[in-house]
Amino acid sequence: MNNIIDFILKNRLLVLVIGAFIIAGGYFNYKQLPIDAFPDVSPALVQVFTQTEGLAPEEVEKYVTFPVEVAMNGMPNLKSIRSVSNFGLSVVNIYFEDGTDIYFARQIVNERLTEAREQIPEGFGDPQMGPISTGMGLILFYYLEDETGKYTLEELRTIQDWLIKFQLQTVPGVTEVLGIGGWEKQFHVVVNPNDLLRYNLSINDVVEIIKKNNLNVGASFIERDAEEFLVRSVGLATKIQDLENIVIKSVDGTPIYLKEIADIKIGGAVRRGIQTHNGVEEVVAGMVVKLFGTNSSTVIGAVEEKMKEINKTLPDGIKLVPYYEQKTLVEAAVKTVTDALIQGIILVAIILMIFMGSIRPSFVVALSIPFSIMVAFIGMNYLGLSINLMSFGGLAIAIGMMVDASIVLVENVDRLKRKYPDEPFLHIVAKASKEVIKPIIFAIVIIITVFIPLFTLQGVEGKTFKPLAFTIALAMLGSLVFAVFIAPVLSSLILKSKSKKQKKNGTGEIWIVRTLIKIYEPFVRFFVKRRYAAVILSLILLLLGILIYPRLGSEFTPTLQEGTLIVRLSMAPSISLEESKRITMIAEKRVLRVPEVRGTVTRIGRGEVGAHTDPINSAEMYILLKPESEWREGLDQEGIESEIRKEVEGMPGVLLNFTQPIRMTVDELLEGVRAELAVKLFGDDLTLLKNKADEISKLLKNIRGAADIQVDQVSGKPQLKITVDRHAIARYGLNLSDVQQVIRTAIGGETAGQIFEGIRRFDIFVRFAPEFRSDKRSIANLLITSQNGLQVPLSQVATIEEIEGPRQITREQNQRFITIQCNVIGRDIGSFVEESQKAIDENVELPVGYYTVWGGQFKLQQEANKRFAIVIPITLLLIFFLLFSSFNSLKNSMLILLNIPLALVGGIIGLSLTNQNLSVPASVGFIALFGIALENGMVLITYFNQLVREGRSIDEASIEGAKLRLRPVLMTAVTSALGLIPLLLSTGTGSEVQRPLATVVVGGLFTSTVLTLLVLPALYKWFAIKIKESEI
Amino acid sequence: MEKSIKIKFLSIGFILGIIVTFLSVSLLSTNVKTEPATVEVKESEHEEHSEFIELSDSVMKEFGVEISVAGPGEIEMHKDLTGEIIPNPYNVAHIVPRFAGIVKAVYKKIGDRVKKGDKIALIESNESLVQYNVTSSIDGTILELHMTPGELIGDENHVVTIANLRNVWAELNVYQKDLGDVKVGQIVEVRSPHTNSVFRNRLFYLSPTVNEATRTAIARVALKNVRGLWKPGMFVSGKVFTSVKKVNVSVPKNAVQIMEGQKVVFVKSEKGFSPRVVTIGLENDKAVEILEGLHPGEEYISKGAFTFKSEILKESFGGDEH
Repeated sequence: MNNIIDFILKNRLLVLVIGAFIIAGGYFNYKQLPIDAFPDVSPALVQVFTQTEGLAPEEVEKYVTFPVEVAMNGMPNLKSIRSVSNFGLSVVNIYFEDGTDIYFARQIVNERLTEAREQIPEGFGDPQMGPISTGMGLILFYYLEDETGKYTLEELRTIQDWLIKFQLQTVPGVTEVLGIGGWEKQFHVVVNPNDLLRYNLSINDVVEIIKKNNLNVGASFIERDAEEFLVRSVGLATKIQDLENIVIKSVDGTPIYLKEIADIKIGGAVRRGIQTHNGVEEVVAGMVVKLFGTNSSTVIGAVEEKMKEINKTLPDGIKLVPYYEQKTLVEAAVKTVTDALIQGIILVAIILMIFMGSIRPSFVVALSIPFSIMVAFIGMNYLGLSINLMSFGGLAIAIGMMVDASIVLVENVDRLKRKYPDEPFLHIVAKASKEVIKPIIFAIVIIITVFIPLFTLQGVEGKTFKPLAFTIALAMLGSLVFAVFIAPVLSSLILKSKSKKQKKNGTGEIWIVRTLIKIYEPFVRFFVKRRYAAVILSLILLLLGILIYPRLGSEFTPTLQEGTLIVRLSMAPSISLEESKRITMIAEKRVLRVPEVRGTVTRIGRGEVGAHTDPINSAEMYILLKPESEWREGLDQEGIESEIRKEVEGMPGVLLNFTQPIRMTVDELLEGVRAELAVKLFGDDLTLLKNKADEISKLLKNIRGAADIQVDQVSGKPQLKITVDRHAIARYGLNLSDVQQVIRTAIGGETAGQIFEGIRRFDIFVRFAPEFRSDKRSIANLLITSQNGLQVPLSQVATIEEIEGPRQITREQNQRFITIQCNVIGRDIGSFVEESQKAIDENVELPVGYYTVWGGQFKLQQEANKRFAIVIPITLLLIFFLLFSSFNSLKNSMLILLNIPLALVGGIIGLSLTNQNLSVPASVGFIALFGIALENGMVLITYFNQLVREGRSIDEASIEGAKLRLRPVLMTAVTSALGLIPLLLSTGTGSEVQRPLATVVVGGLFTSTVLTLLVLPALYKWFAIKIKESEI
Repeated sequence: MEKSIKIKFLSIGFILGIIVTFLSVSLLSTNVKTEPATVEVKESEHEEHSEFIELSDSVMKEFGVEISVAGPGEIEMHKDLTGEIIPNPYNVAHIVPRFAGIVKAVYKKIGDRVKKGDKIALIESNESLVQYNVTSSIDGTILELHMTPGELIGDENHVVTIANLRNVWAELNVYQKDLGDVKVGQIVEVRSPHTNSVFRNRLFYLSPTVNEATRTAIARVALKNVRGLWKPGMFVSGKVFTSVKKVNVSVPKNAVQIMEGQKVVFVKSEKGFSPRVVTIGLENDKAVEILEGLHPGEEYISKGAFTFKSEILKESFGGDEH
């Protein structure tokens, strides 16, 4: 160690150059870091979507979901597979172990998909992977505003799908642009069944004939003289007339045209989602999805530029209006922490100036901040972290701590310089550095060690808080490097000439420190003389902490305010899109009554597959607020939220939730149940599952502690079930497929090719006219044409019944399941689970193949507790060993550990005074507190030992040591605390997550510093090193 | 003395150490407890899922809910059939020349209207070489005429078809499944989709047998065809009103909702509207007969019943997210 100091002092230029390189490298890395609002907590997930025209959940599950699931089994790094089979859509979520490379995951999923495709019957859809993105990938939503009012929804949607979409997708970093709302243009061939009967045709004939009459072919080339002529036959239909003039049949030479049996017109495709605006109109909207791992702010900027360009090319009167931009959020979050960072740096610099009394040492110490931050950037880039609220927050938290090591070093140089004014300065620097370098290294290693438990956090908390822990640890490492290598060099260069001026002050301390010492001395004397008073004081504080602790509320993580409000409406699962739209528009009108609301844009259901999978009974209303300056006096966002709540409350048949865009998307992607406790019942038969689940739920209700029991509502979607009678069709010589084809085409419709308008292509959609297919009665009258030309009504060969079917089928581990959720109040969950499982075993008879699995948050919590129960003692032990190896004294180490409970008390009091809850960020604060408190103790005890070794009596050493170390202890504590003040006071976006953390650290630092300074010297006697006896 | 104090405080130190561990473990772990999802559950919990629903007048208006008083009504049942126009066979004359011979003259053209006794052609008999007139036997229009002057005409085939189209028939195909409902005497509304002509009359005939190939019976209705809009061969559809029943209580179709597999109507009571299970009788496109469960004079939701159903099912929506 000493050699190193000598070496660097000999090669000062080299050290400075390397230092400059590190700073430059840090800046270079900083430029490469992606900027996000929050750490991305999305799981490593590949989604496979399959759109299936018109299939009910049961069929989707059978024909599509199951083959996809089966194909995905046995992949490397696979964690679990969950699927949802909805009407017309199968979504298979394939979760990989955290940390799996997303491109690797997609690649192996893609390999398996080819297998799955073979298993899916033709015409039942083609499974596709979702966009290469995450829950934070939806960076910008816009809608098309038509000022002229003359464009139809089909035209607007065509502009979106064929003009805007393709242009936006060329922006680097945009992986997908998904459209929703309006109508996708189609050419509708509306067939009148009576006309079919008249000409003795079946609807399938119509489909076939249209397909046969809409083709271009190439026929290679012919040679003429020296030239080649390409041959092509052009027969593609390009307009309605082309379709109308297709000859369907010819009787005695009289052609029967398509137009005689069908109306051909432009219409909209079947849709599962719409977008409404201000409760008065439907609009066409688009969502821009960002590519995984790209820099949000750059991509958003580029998208905005592109949108300006696109706006110029759009028809007059149409423009893109963004209604949600993540940019605002990213900017706000980064601003919050950057402000805190800058303010922190300024505050710390001021404190340094005050305590050091001159600019030069302060400058050396303050330089440690940018250096540490740059080191952190290099590490962040290496670890693949982005700049966001948490990682930058970590830096803001660490500002005060970054300077600690340098403070100790520079302060010692300063002190020795005054003590031995005549020695060569380089010598002093070397001596001072050698004196403190070991405790500095130990102190920082301990601080980094303290963060070990945070690295064991899993899931969402892990992803949220690990970046913070990482940046703190990295910055501390940087500060260590700075203190060991660069600070001595800089001190030797910069502090040198300063020595003469300082001499005037006699003791060498500046007046503030002298005053503080004057105030402090009587106290420390009092406590050193009356040790019991110190013990009693600390016990009282400890007791206070223990008393307050249970009164603190607890919450998971304070909700991050994204600054965008969403009201989520859930309606009855059987609702129709029209009714859903009607109710949503009522809600929009109600929200608009709040004067601060500028407008609303609501998405109902889902648009193009990729981002959302919501059914049509779910609507998400984005509330656009007026600028804050136009708000009523004294109203904040929370106030507006409660006004909106008041307006929309009491809408019959509508369940309301307030949420935020990113949170909502991420929640959707997360795995598993969000209630505290859940019983998953696995099995095959949906009705049986439901019945057994109801039985279990009844049982659970009688078990003490059960609350909020809820069984998944799996049914409730009305179905018209058509069962074909095999005997009946045999009598008419029909095949089952003849009947089903007609049912499918006549009611659901069938695509019979496409019409090309340039490169734009639109489906030709054949279907019966609405009056012949829209109720049970007319469906019963559908005519089936048998092979010998016989026409039979459907009800003659099939029974039609109205039943209630499943609304969706969820599967996990290749099996259907149903969840019974509940919360447990007033008792230990473990015993509750045991008792419930026993009750289930005794009372519910489960058929073969049916079984229950307990899950829910409690499981994660139990796992976390188990981990903590091991990791925290290990960490403490590790710290203890570090302390022990540093002091070589069991008692010393113990005395330093005593700081921890005293620091915790301060944190608890801090939370309680500011009315905050215990939460994950608060816990992170406690952990940071451990480190800082230990550091304080170490500084003090090291010096006590030094004095004792010099031969002072213990009491004298305690008092003298405390007095002399007042400056560095106060400085490190005050810088650490003041560095956090900006975070504590900030009200910007994301501050709600940082505040509990800052509160805990500031509060804890306060008690721990006061107590370190008063109680430690007093208790030192009992924990003092024994060496003195042998040495003296 | 000093030693015992030392030990005392060493032990205090250990106890503090244990407290540290305990505190830190509990501090770090308690937080994972409360979950956003529970907030949702609570929200629906305090809404106290009640079977009685009361909505203010303004909300009812906003949501388009309407209340009616249960009362009698008529429920008309019908069957939709298809078929074609044929000439009335009683008004069709197939005229066969009495004697074979040579056509000497033809006086009429296809499509000409003729009266009974009008001369149509002149034929010279092969046997007697006597010329005789072929005359119309009924009033009507000439549909077929297979004679050209100079042509030899036999006496076996008819050469002129005259039909009176002022009266035509619609021949409707009755599928096996409808045979129980369709009866002679029922009113039929015959429609031609392309000419917008409509004619109502009673069924006068239902074939006693079913066609072996098509498995349909034939029902006939006579149509007046003064303006000649009903052309034989034309494709028509017929709506047979199979029954009209006066019922004690009839409600609009959408007033009846299905909840948990049962049919319910929302009926007003003192506490508000609540779903009541009903038994239904006849039903058509618009109305439903209520046999049991709703008494005349009671107020019920006639429009917007779905809103009430949703409100009751509300607490179950939450589990839908995925």
